[in-house]
Amino acid sequence: MILLDRVTKSYGKEMKPALNRISLHVEPNEFVIIVGTSGAGKSTLLKLLTREEKPTSGKIVVGGIDYDTLKDKHIPLLRRKIGVVFQDFKLLPQRTVFENIAFALEIAGMTNREIKNTVPKVIELVGLTGKEKSFPHELSGGERQRVAIARAVVRQPKILIADEPTGNLDPKHSWDIMRLLEKINKYGTTVLLTTHNVEIVNKLKRRVITIDHGKIVSDQAQGSYRQ
Amino acid sequence: MSRRDGSSSRALAGQRKNRRKWLTFLRMLRYGVNNFSRNAWLTVAATAVMTITLLIIFMTFVAQNVLSDTAVDIGKRIDRSIYLKPETTAAQAKQVMDKIAKLDNVETVTFKSSAEARADYAKENKQDSGTLEAINEATNRIPATINIGLKSVDDTSSLIKFVETDETLKKYIHPVRKPTFIGQRKDATSTIAGWTQFAQRAGIVASILFISISSLIIFNTIRMAIFNRKEEIQMMKLIGADKSFIRGPFVVEAVVYGFIAAMIATILGVLTLTSIAGKLKAYGVTIDPTVTLMTAYAPIVLVAMIALGALIGIVSSLFATRRYLKI
Repeated sequence: MILLDRVTKSYGKEMKPALNRISLHVEPNEFVIIVGTSGAGKSTLLKLLTREEKPTSGKIVVGGIDYDTLKDKHIPLLRRKIGVVFQDFKLLPQRTVFENIAFALEIAGMTNREIKNTVPKVIELVGLTGKEKSFPHELSGGERQRVAIARAVVRQPKILIADEPTGNLDPKHSWDIMRLLEKINKYGTTVLLTTHNVEIVNKLKRRVITIDHGKIVSDQAQGSYRQ
Repeated sequence: MSRRDGSSSRALAGQRKNRRKWLTFLRMLRYGVNNFSRNAWLTVAATAVMTITLLIIFMTFVAQNVLSDTAVDIGKRIDRSIYLKPETTAAQAKQVMDKIAKLDNVETVTFKSSAEARADYAKENKQDSGTLEAINEATNRIPATINIGLKSVDDTSSLIKFVETDETLKKYIHPVRKPTFIGQRKDATSTIAGWTQFAQRAGIVASILFISISSLIIFNTIRMAIFNRKEEIQMMKLIGADKSFIRGPFVVEAVVYGFIAAMIATILGVLTLTSIAGKLKAYGVTIDPTVTLMTAYAPIVLVAMIALGALIGIVSSLFATRRYLKI
């Protein structure tokens, strides 16, 4: 599903590369946790996957799309196949829960009927039934992150990238979000999660990849957090 | 699959693609209008700046028009006279006038006989008994005059040529007093013509200056409005929105600003113009043609203002979003 082959990303000639010859393979339907201190290269890795950045060298193939041959005008199409969730939610503040989720379908040119059919199902999946007409500022942090997740999965992407989704949440809400991600993973979506939360990493018992100074220092099938 | 099936399924796909485009367009419209109505503070600010911009452009246009009308008017009032011998009759003068009227730059030709000129002079100086007496006793008589109005104020070349070469005129022309556009008096009149021309040119330069400054201001306002939503734009990009879909609502929003601002500016502008017209007229400004133009063609002025507002909005928002839409 995700293939990185000796990928290097450096932002300047004098600086040390943010990622240094990283090779990584993620199977379809895997749940992968990426850990590492800030500045280790996690964000760069995710930016490469969403094509916000181009690698300095190396090969990236996601869902059968080779990034080397991907034209700029097709980038939106690629991004519609990857769901993304951010630490700061990034919802549209002027739009309701329903509109925020519908937006992801509207940009793909779905009809209004399709949207009316799909969105309530996703709202139910993330457990926000009854909040359709609320604006983001009327919701708690946990609820906002559910909206963001709903928006990311409403198009049924093959891959969901969650960049520190629990970074701004208290433990209870963090676990709710984790349960939700596990549920989504069970329905057949590859999940890529970055987190700082030791407890989450240790309890989930999933594949853990540790990045340090731009290199993968460990890759465990049922890993735990290594300091 | 038969060939017919292939083409009909292609047609169906094309139809679906068109419907999708139409749907996307409608959604951009809706989002644009939504943004406009859900962002009260920004809406008011941007509309106000846009109104001022359009008002400046409107006023500049009006001022330019008034200035040029006034300049033409003053130009027409410049004295272009050929003096004839006092005894010249109207019939004799007419031979000359007909010829002058045929010259290409001439608009009007009028004749004033010696007696009429004297009567006018007496009327102007009726308070002054000394002068009146002097006229009565004087042996030299006031010359008859042919007065000429020109189409292009500063081009007297054809007239000068006529005076120098025409034989009929030579029979009647005043032996001493030269025409006003030849010799010493020529300098004074050409200075006035020069000034009116300068005023017109200065008006055009000022218009260009004002319009570019106000366009810059509105551009910056829209840019700031978009800067405020930088994060939103980035997010839209990341969930796979096309550039046009991100831009569309901003453009629509700017067009709505332009539309509302154009209406306010036109109403304010026309009202201001009609209310100050009387005062300006008292100063000898030729404002009537402009007022007539603006009131008689008010709907066209409004449409032009809306088009201008929309254009400024579109250009500004396209430029302002460009830098956030790189990959």
